[in-house]
Amino acid sequence: MTQDFYRPGTSLIHRWNPVTTLSLSLTLVVTAFASQALWLPAALLVFVVFPAALVSGVFRRLLAWLARFLLPVILLLFVIQGLYHQDGPLLDLGPVGVHLDGVLFATRTALRLLVLTGAFLLLLFTTHPGELMTALVAHGMPPKISYLVSATMQIVPAFRQRAHSILDAQRARGLRTAAGPIGRVRALVPLVGPLVLGALSEVDERAVAMEARAFGATTRRTSYTVIADSAAQRVSRWSMLVITIAVIVLSATGVIR
Amino acid sequence: MIRLESLSYRYAETPTTVLRQISLTIPKGQLVGVVGPSGAGKTTLAQVMSGFIPHVFGGEVTGAVTVAGRSVRNTPLPLLVSDIGLVSQNPFNQLSGAKFSVAEELAFGLENLGVPRGEMVSRVDETLRRLRIAHLAERSPYQLSGGQQQLVAIGSMMVMRPGVLVLDEPTSQLDPAGSGLVFDALGELRERGVTVVLIEHKLEQLAEVADRILALVDGELRMDGPPSTVLAADELADWGIGRTRFTAAAVAAATHWPCGRPLPVTLAEAAAGFAEGAP
Repeated sequence: MTQDFYRPGTSLIHRWNPVTTLSLSLTLVVTAFASQALWLPAALLVFVVFPAALVSGVFRRLLAWLARFLLPVILLLFVIQGLYHQDGPLLDLGPVGVHLDGVLFATRTALRLLVLTGAFLLLLFTTHPGELMTALVAHGMPPKISYLVSATMQIVPAFRQRAHSILDAQRARGLRTAAGPIGRVRALVPLVGPLVLGALSEVDERAVAMEARAFGATTRRTSYTVIADSAAQRVSRWSMLVITIAVIVLSATGVIR
Repeated sequence: MIRLESLSYRYAETPTTVLRQISLTIPKGQLVGVVGPSGAGKTTLAQVMSGFIPHVFGGEVTGAVTVAGRSVRNTPLPLLVSDIGLVSQNPFNQLSGAKFSVAEELAFGLENLGVPRGEMVSRVDETLRRLRIAHLAERSPYQLSGGQQQLVAIGSMMVMRPGVLVLDEPTSQLDPAGSGLVFDALGELRERGVTVVLIEHKLEQLAEVADRILALVDGELRMDGPPSTVLAADELADWGIGRTRFTAAAVAAATHWPCGRPLPVTLAEAAAGFAEGAP
């Protein structure tokens, strides 16, 4: 899951407090969606997301992931919005026409999607999920929410591994699992029972283990991991909040168009 | 200290009594081994001694259980767990899931108890060293082998320094070297005054380290005494508990075993006996 995205590094962004990187990602996303202006998400992409990815050494990975995630979606957007919009065509191609409004809408949406995905990929590539959770708890997030997120990130891959083991064991006893979508669905049937029932039967043991480690204690928790922070980063986080609010207000009042 | 007085237990909505009229006292700093065939009630006994029965599992408990001067039934679980640690059989289920490195995993319980960071770091380092898993400190707990996870699960309890530590087959996935590490660490804890209750099938290692053995069969405490007495008893084989290889060798070599000498349960006892019986 998300820890598979993260690669350790020594760049400035890697060294940031994870809350600062998260704030940057949220600022990028909110400002990109706040305005109808085309130039704003384009500027965010070219002047913030890409340079930040270059600085942190993840630019090529970022481009590869953006292409993998978004290229089909963006192509589809242009086809649907560009060719089948209601307004008069900008370019008549016989049975179909390219519509300006559709192209503009597709461009805006594509740029917003690129900023959204790019900003969060940047966060995932440069921030260790455990450190992010620790930093969020240090900033007031309830530890139980942190537990839910972290446990999901870790236990899901572990269960995926267990599912493979169950399938291997069943194959060793003669179960045939053919390739292709139908074969995969068929393979699920004998897998679901042992996997789900096994997980349910372990709930009690897991609850005991958590209680044995004082998860239910009401004392004020301390933290083993110390996440560095600085006055400059605190100022930058507040600045990002101010910028976000300013962009929302200026867009709503028509100053940014 | 652990005291059980006429303890009986039945799981909720089941007719079978799992533990029957068990009475015993375990003084502070004693290392007690619990042996018994599958289904004897050993895991249930561990859960009773650590307070998870009745706090988590419910069911019907009669009699009294007192641990470290506290009535288990009347003490809230978060208070009990600061004094009593429980290590259960399956290490995968004991990982918190919330931590991304072994060092953080060990510190999880200490964080919950609000232990200051400096002390936390020192305890985690000590536990990593003692269990010889310092090289795993930065690895994800979910990317370890079963045996390594078992050492982490044991470490995650040891690091909390409970007065009483109950372990349910803690070495089931460990190789002989790993098991040896755990038994040594438990011996050290006993020297520090920690009361250890160890459910274990590895009778030979148990014989070396335990002060006392409890034999549990069908929920009843059938034998309670020093390892040399309990583990050499003929009944153990009938109850499905088995014997140590040394006891089995002495029984098989009956003519060479000196008459009147107790059957051996450790390598040292076997060597001394066979030396004496040799022509």
